[in-house]
Amino acid sequence: MPDIAGDGPEEQPLFSERPDWTDVTPVPQYEGYNPIAPIFYTPQYKDATDYFRGIVKTNEKSERVLELTEAIIRLNPAHYSAWQYRYHTLLAIKAPLDAELKLMDSLAVQFLKTYQVWHHRRLILTAIYSPPPSNASGLNDPTATTSSSAKSKPSPESQAAARTELAFITRVLMVDAKNYHTWSYRQWLLAFFDDVHLWEGELGFVERLLEEDVRNNSAWHHRFFVVFGRGQLQGEEDRVAVLKRELSYTKDQIALAPNNASAWNYLRGILERTGTSFSNLRSFVEPYTKTHEDRLGDEEILDLENPAPSAEAELPCVAALEFLADIYEKDAVSKSVEIWKRLANELDTMRKKYWEYRIKEALKDVPVQS
Amino acid sequence: MSGSELPKLARVAHAGHCNRCLSALPSSHIQIDASRLAIGFYCFGTLDLLGSIYEKTKEIEREGWREWLWHQQTSGIHGTGFKPSSYMTQDRPYGTDPEEYSEYDTPHLIMTYTAILSLAILRDDFEQLDRNGIVRFLQACQREDGSFTSFPNGGESDLRQVYCAFAISSMLDDWSGVDVDRAVSFIQQCSSHEGGYGQQPTGEALGGTTYCALASLYLAPSVSDLHAPNPHVTTDERRRTIRWLLQNQASSGGFSGRTNKDADACYCFWCGASLHILGVGDLVDRTAFLSYLASCQFKFGGIGKAPEDRPDPYHTYLSLAALALFPLEDADPSWKLPRLNALWNTTEDTADWIRQHVPLYTVKAQSPVRK
Ligand SMILES: [Zn+2]
Repeated sequence: MPDIAGDGPEEQPLFSERPDWTDVTPVPQYEGYNPIAPIFYTPQYKDATDYFRGIVKTNEKSERVLELTEAIIRLNPAHYSAWQYRYHTLLAIKAPLDAELKLMDSLAVQFLKTYQVWHHRRLILTAIYSPPPSNASGLNDPTATTSSSAKSKPSPESQAAARTELAFITRVLMVDAKNYHTWSYRQWLLAFFDDVHLWEGELGFVERLLEEDVRNNSAWHHRFFVVFGRGQLQGEEDRVAVLKRELSYTKDQIALAPNNASAWNYLRGILERTGTSFSNLRSFVEPYTKTHEDRLGDEEILDLENPAPSAEAELPCVAALEFLADIYEKDAVSKSVEIWKRLANELDTMRKKYWEYRIKEALKDVPVQS
Repeated sequence: MSGSELPKLARVAHAGHCNRCLSALPSSHIQIDASRLAIGFYCFGTLDLLGSIYEKTKEIEREGWREWLWHQQTSGIHGTGFKPSSYMTQDRPYGTDPEEYSEYDTPHLIMTYTAILSLAILRDDFEQLDRNGIVRFLQACQREDGSFTSFPNGGESDLRQVYCAFAISSMLDDWSGVDVDRAVSFIQQCSSHEGGYGQQPTGEALGGTTYCALASLYLAPSVSDLHAPNPHVTTDERRRTIRWLLQNQASSGGFSGRTNKDADACYCFWCGASLHILGVGDLVDRTAFLSYLASCQFKFGGIGKAPEDRPDPYHTYLSLAALALFPLEDADPSWKLPRLNALWNTTEDTADWIRQHVPLYTVKAQSPVRK
């Protein structure tokens, strides 16, 4: 990966060689005997962490601590103590936090998979927009309370910041569209600012990502979070209309790529969440449960509400058969059993035992017919 | 493919991989400096599963490791627990007592869980365990919403820490450090629309955290019978979770951690153990499962996340733990592994050792070990 920030700390002289650090006494690491999985430290890492332990010992909070902790973080972004100390130093010396966010922009892309990068960002945003009461010690993690959110009335300034932040995450998701930390951060951010204008763009954003990759489960999950989770979008008070829109969108995506577990899971999820019976979807699902040959005999009616599978679709679709069997389970269990047998023996043999289990479970409560 | 056609499990090579990691890691591994105790656990766990902890290590080594592990136990205002490693420990003359920890060198919840397991694998007598201090530490880590942070003044807080707090409490047989009701309600909020559990309440369903959720709900003190319906998991919830877990078994036979992602050896454990905990481990296609893990064996020892991938102790241990849960009758004897305790994630023998040595009032006098 290219070094985005340009000046890697490895080009810097060691702290032990720098005249401006001679007043700090480095503190070596206590390793003891027989350490488990000891790491061969590089001279740079050993040098920086020796000085860091020295700084922590004297509790110095100053400008140069920012330089030191940045050097450590670049060598080991999972060094959470350095992140913690850096955060407390930023607050103690009242450092400009927007500059910190700028620095984090480059570190986030470089260390995308490291949790600490995202956690620090949360802390910084919280410190700017929801400062803890002045009597708090500042040592505790302000994100550690669920009640933490930006002030109730968003200022134009915080609205702009939130938009900038959201745009930043969008760019990071373009690099890795399924990164768990990045998505968690986006969800936190939306809830933190809880500003209608922020929520508004989310559906469009999800749709753009799904246009690129309709199997991106993180995007589907985010859609569920946006529609049914914390946020209730403006103009979405009419939940019947919302359900209709979600059903229509999901059906279209299934028509586009029928064998997509993410879309079927979403479909099931919205039906369960809204207490809607699966059987309402029967006429949509049925064409996907047949082979192309079987469908030849069916009368082709253009039904905009129920888009049919395309000629290239791989049919029959296992997820559709599973769905249909679930519909039948209530009042025509023998039809369900027929479907499960087909899945077990022919179409989804990896889950043979599961489909047989479904048969056993379904028949458990049914009186044996003589 | 039937079980008899599988390649052998390269037991000696896998033990060798973990032994090498225990003795030293190259500088490219600096990122695990703050989680070395976890790496240690995966290495010891591998040796424990392979039955080679006594063959491949010497008593003097084991004694040294135990001593080093106890050096990571640390006490202070937030209670007692274990540090991830000595990476923040100030040098002092060997053998002298450490000072109380600073705010930047506190114990770590996940590392405390792995330390207890490692010490049990190394058959420590646990006389040095500060049980009351650990209970206070758990209290200090629990948040308003029922979740736990990794350390008392911050850090990650998601289902992984809840699981560690539950596992530690059940090992101590002392739940006074945990507000169970609040924690259970946090776990339930993490249930996603797909049937799995996300890392936190807004998160996408993920194999690892689904294991953490289920193991916690089954470790909870309100659950006395593992085979009876769980009071914290509704029938519908259980059905949805089973469906989602099995959907994640990919055509390669391995499990993926999220819908539509590639299979990865570690999720064979996280998803497989989840199914085992739910009492439906029999539904896994074992032959495909084993053949996937067999193909993840690296030619010079160790197991990677996918075929041809570089191995590491994490994937090596979790693959073996998964294999221990799903033995295949007709497989080569090299695949035979001891029984695993899925809730604590350790062998039953080590779990017995924990039951006999970790609680303050151990049961060794009254009841014989359950076999
Ligand atoms: Zn993995």
